[in-house]
Amino acid sequence: MELVNWKGILESLLFAAGDEGLNLKQITAVMEIEEHEALEVIQTLKEDYDEGSRGISLTEMAGTFQLVTKKEHAPYLKKLVESPGMSTLSQAALETLAIVAYRQPITRAEVEEVRGVKTERPLQTLVSKGLIKEVGRAEGTGRAILYGTTREFLDYFGLKNIEELPPLPEKIDDEAMEEDADLFFEKFQETLDPHEEKPTD
Amino acid sequence: MEYNVKVDAFEGPLDLLLHLINRLEIDIYDIPMAQITEQYLYYVHAMKELQLDTASEYLVMAATLLAIKSKMLLPKHEDDLLEEELEYSEEDPRDELVERLIEYRKYKSAAEELKAREQERGQVFTKPPSDLTEITESIPTEKMDLNVSIYDMLGAFHKLLRRKKLQKPMSTKITRQEIPIEKRMEEVLQELRAFKGKKRFYELFPYPEKEHIVVTFLAILELMKRNEIEVDQENNFEDIIIAAKGGVESSGTR
Repeated sequence: MELVNWKGILESLLFAAGDEGLNLKQITAVMEIEEHEALEVIQTLKEDYDEGSRGISLTEMAGTFQLVTKKEHAPYLKKLVESPGMSTLSQAALETLAIVAYRQPITRAEVEEVRGVKTERPLQTLVSKGLIKEVGRAEGTGRAILYGTTREFLDYFGLKNIEELPPLPEKIDDEAMEEDADLFFEKFQETLDPHEEKPTD
Repeated sequence: MEYNVKVDAFEGPLDLLLHLINRLEIDIYDIPMAQITEQYLYYVHAMKELQLDTASEYLVMAATLLAIKSKMLLPKHEDDLLEEELEYSEEDPRDELVERLIEYRKYKSAAEELKAREQERGQVFTKPPSDLTEITESIPTEKMDLNVSIYDMLGAFHKLLRRKKLQKPMSTKITRQEIPIEKRMEEVLQELRAFKGKKRFYELFPYPEKEHIVVTFLAILELMKRNEIEVDQENNFEDIIIAAKGGVESSGTR
């Protein structure tokens, strides 16, 4: 590893690959080196970026290695764009997506069972955004569509792979969940009993 | 019974129940049915007052709560039962509801986690792959039938939208001009034929305007449907390649 500038080669490859990224197999095939060697080069390049005053970092997403801009420069990048702020997913879409991600392959009926409400629209939204897709059909009558997550899903949430999803929480901190709803409840109270004092928590 | 206003207050009856349980500081494993039912009905009523979208699911849940409440009131005839049966009869009418609430709560919190990641991911940017066609010999002509599905196309399309957002200069004036799909289809075909019959998917979207992008995308889909173009995926960069079917117009030498 003295004469050949492996790091430089990898850097140009990743630059060219852009957001498609390169997986380990592609890197070893193109550079004609062993897997462990490739991992070493990846690691040193990653450290170079992280330690230096550089605007780019090397990250692993959706099964590939990619060059991305550093988080702390986001405010400047957002100035480049006309409409800053990504459009984000609705609460309904996020809940639906969480259920699909952890329970895939899953039918609409099964998702609705967990959520306790109709879920047709959020599912459609997620399909049209390319975050979930039909992965097969359920056995039995009706042959209901089975949904699963896509590679785009991994990319959208910056996950290396589906295993990187954190385990489902068993113990829940209710405090955090409450905050957003409290305002709404207060509005309710005011609507219903305008003359009563608000309950104190 | 018309409620067209959709306020994202609650994500359904389970969500509402969870809020009530937290608010009233109730132990989820020992829900006082009378209290929670009363509160629940009170809020469903309030939602109607406020003309919110009270989906039928809320009313179904109300009925469920009332049913559980009345079951709890039934006396238990323990002396009539044998010991063995006693064990089985210990079922609490609330069990099923509690299980559903806990299950739902898990995914609700997983959704929070996803939301945080979405935020995080929105802070970093990437660039589209460089166009290396300059140095490629030419795109291999043997067909690799990789079955590009509508989902692949949608994926490519969304990636494109993300990219185009960043490329947009700050001071673009968008001239609203309706482009008929038919016209764009014609343009796409011409473009392809002028270009050795093939182009990368992303190259067919020259203008970073949403309208134009959407029309182009629809044009491509329509051309696929009419079998006028072929859509393929190279394996290397997973780029989608669009090829005109009727071959190449002899546009002389380059």
